[in-house]
Formats: sequence, C-alpha cells, structure tokens
Amino acid sequence: MVSLSDVSVSYEKSRILENVNLTVHPGEFVFLVGRTGAGKSSLLKLLYMDVPPASGTITIGEYSSDTIRNRDVPYLRRTVGIIFQDMKLLEDRNVYDNVAFTLHVTGAKRKNIKQRVLRALADVGLSHKRSSMPHELSGGEQQRVGIARALVNEPWLLVADEPTGNLDPSTSGDILELLIKINNRGTAILMATHNYDLVRKTPAARILQIRDRQLVDVEMRKI
Amino acid sequence: MGYVLREGFSGFKRAKLSTTISIITISISLLLLGTFAVIFANLHELADTLRREVQVEVFLLDDISVSQRNRINEQIGAQSGVDSISYISKDDAAEIFKEEFGEDIYSVLDFNPLPASFRVSLQPDYVHADSIATLASFIETLEGTESVQYRQSLLEMLTDRIQTVVAVSIGVGILLAISAIFLVSNTIRLTIYAKRKLIQTMKLVGATRGFIRKPFLLEGFVQGLCGGVLAAILIYIMLYFISNYFSEHLIVLGDYELYFYGAVLLTGSILGLLGSAVSIRRFLR
Repeated sequence: MVSLSDVSVSYEKSRILENVNLTVHPGEFVFLVGRTGAGKSSLLKLLYMDVPPASGTITIGEYSSDTIRNRDVPYLRRTVGIIFQDMKLLEDRNVYDNVAFTLHVTGAKRKNIKQRVLRALADVGLSHKRSSMPHELSGGEQQRVGIARALVNEPWLLVADEPTGNLDPSTSGDILELLIKINNRGTAILMATHNYDLVRKTPAARILQIRDRQLVDVEMRKI
Repeated sequence: MGYVLREGFSGFKRAKLSTTISIITISISLLLLGTFAVIFANLHELADTLRREVQVEVFLLDDISVSQRNRINEQIGAQSGVDSISYISKDDAAEIFKEEFGEDIYSVLDFNPLPASFRVSLQPDYVHADSIATLASFIETLEGTESVQYRQSLLEMLTDRIQTVVAVSIGVGILLAISAIFLVSNTIRLTIYAKRKLIQTMKLVGATRGFIRKPFLLEGFVQGLCGGVLAAILIYIMLYFISNYFSEHLIVLGDYELYFYGAVLLTGSILGLLGSAVSIRRFLR
C-alpha cells in the first residue's frame, strides 16, 4: 500500500505540495492530473524517494520516509516499477539488455533473467525486437520497452510519469491499453497525465487532481 | 561478479573514443613520470660514479716499518665509510709518475722522492665534505702518516650540486605526479560524465551505489593497466634507441628493469582506479 500523510514538498524555497494525503491500494488504477508544473512529477518522485518530503510521512510497502536509510532506497525502488515520459532507455544496449539491466541490478541469476526478460517483452509485444537498439524503435515501441523494464521485477506498484506525453494519440491509446492489461493482473498503477482523453477511456480508474498545491478527488464526469 | 566483469569490459566497446583518450592520457602521464624516473636514476648513478672517484690519499713517512704500515691500514679500514684501501709503494708511485708525465723520475733525479701511500676509496653515501674532513683529520693523527690529501674543492662542489639536483628532481617529480593525477581523473570524469544518464537510470531502477561503482572501477583499473602497458612499451623503445644510437653509457635500469616496468604498470592501474573512484563519487551523490 502507498500512503502519503500530510506531505509537503518544496523546491528552491517555493512550496509545490502542501499537506497532501493519499492512499493507493493494491490493484488500484489512479490517474494524477493537473496542469504542467502543478507538481505531478514531484509527487511521483516522492514515491520512489527521488525527492525528499519537506514534512509529513510517506509509506511505500514496508518502507517509511521517516525511517528509511539512504542505503535502503535502492531496495525500495526494486519494489516499484517506474515509467518515464522520456523512457530513459540505455542507448548503448539493445532492447533485451535494457530490460535485463533491472534484474542484473538485483543480482538475479542469468538463466532466471533470460526467462523473465523474454516474458516481459512478450507482455508488451516486443519479443521480435529484442535485439534492436533503442534508436531503431518508434516512440511507442520505446515506451513499451520502458514498460517491460518496469514490469520485469514484478512490482506491486507501477508509477508512470506522463508515459504518453511524447506519443501520438493512437500510440498513446495502445500504451494505455497495455497499462490497463497490467492493472487487471493486479498491479497498482499511479499514472500522471494531462491527456484527459486517456482518462475518459478508463472508467474504472480513480482520478486525483493537483490544484493549488492540494490533492483533490475528481469525478470522471467533471473531466 | 560476472555482470561486473562483462559490464566493465563492455564499457570499452561502448565508449571507444573516451576510453582511448583515457588510455592515451594515462600513458602520456606515465611516460613523463617514467622518463623522469629514468633521468633521476641516471643522475643518481652519475653522482655515485663521481663520488666513487673521490679518494683520500694517505702519504706515509719513508722510514716506517711494515708492521707500522699494516697497523695504519687496519686502523683506516676500521673506520666507517671506508670501502677499500690500496697500497701504493714508492715504486708504484714512480710508475704512476711515469704514466702521468711520460718521463722516468730517475732520469730527473737520482733518487725517488715520491712517498708510499694508501689510496682510500669510500662508500658513495659517505662522500660528503664534512665526513671526509673528519676521516682525514683522524688519519693525520696516526703515527707514520705524513699527510692526507683529497680533492676538497671537487667534493664540496659535488655535495652542493647533488643536493640541488636531488631537491629539484623531487620537486619536479611531485609536480609531475600531481599533474598526472589531475589529468587522469579529469579525463576519466569526462568518460563517466558521458555515462551520467546510465548512472541515473541505474539509480532509479534500484541499483546500489556499490553495484554502480564496481564496473567503473574495473574499467578505470583496466584503462590504467592498458595505459601502463603502452607507456612501458614507449619507454622501452625510447631507452633502446637512446642507448643504441646516442649514448652507450645510459644506464638502462640494470637489475631493476623488471621492477621499473612493473612499477609503471602498477602506477597506471592505481591511477586509473583512483581516477575512477574519485570521479564516480560525484555522480553517485
């Protein structure tokens, strides 16, 4: 479970989020919307402790921002899959190695890595592109690799920061479908977006909006 | 470990240009340091040779007995710093005179005025103006000696110049070592800077600092070793040409040759390893 309790975030003396409270349960699909610069990315970064809270407590599974030591942060990140708008693929290695990288980091066995990487690539429909280099792929394909990399560790939570921000509407729809499929298998998803069309296509999702440094629930019909 | 090895070595393939630049930088630094070490060793050897030239001549009275002479020999031999003593009889002295002047002493005089003497060679470390003066004044007190002679002015000049050369050499050596460290760590920092995105992504997918660091350290170590090998080859070729075409007297490190090249490789590896360790720290904060 994810829990933010009275969390505030500041950046260079200006407050971005003020006393935010949030709970995400296992298997939930939550959209995080808000205008550009509202603090969506900052809120997501709190979840993998890339940004420290100015105050309040964040709990991610067994880890709490109050007690976590610096050296434990990598272990927290292994329980959360992260998808980025700019994919952050490693340009110097092929698709297979990009996905396998996450498992190497955890010290997984080679044979085990192969099996899990191939399954993750099959899940995102890119088995046939496993030997391609990132620059040989389309934007949508690159993002699928990003999703496979986030999935391969079998995280209970996927944090997606504008995963369709750089993609055309049709490809964005495909990526959303993929995320819904993953969510249906029980993985909780917290996705930041300003693409309201995508939000409308996901009626089962919960929608949260950052407005005036606060996090508020929004009904689907008001989107 | 397998991953660290593969990742460390594949760093070479993935960043050929920056790796090549790092290796060349390391080898140039080592080439400078190594050349300097050879020059320093040669200067040291030259100073030792000059010091060995310094001999103390102890002239003996004409009328001393063999036992008295032997006693003087023993007493001088017992002094610290004395390397060897050779006896020059009156006849030997006449022979040396003939070699030096090309004329027999007996053709000028009808007797041999040249005294018998001991030539005392000293251990190079002992050849200093002060220590020889002490030794000379001790010998002068021995019964049966007439006078003691050594080239004081040469000795004073040697002592003075050697001290200056050693001081300057140490200063230059330290400067070279410092500039090598800066040069190498800056070049490696550029190599790592080119991989900052990789490091950032590694951190985000849950890599520990140690895990991120290891391939870079291995890469730095291997780059340093390659730089060391390259520098050793260049120094070897350079010494080969100098000793064959310019001066046969250049010492080519003699018995220490293997240690020298070993030290070049070791210094290269350490430079590469330290350069990587210092540079990666900045990106892991």
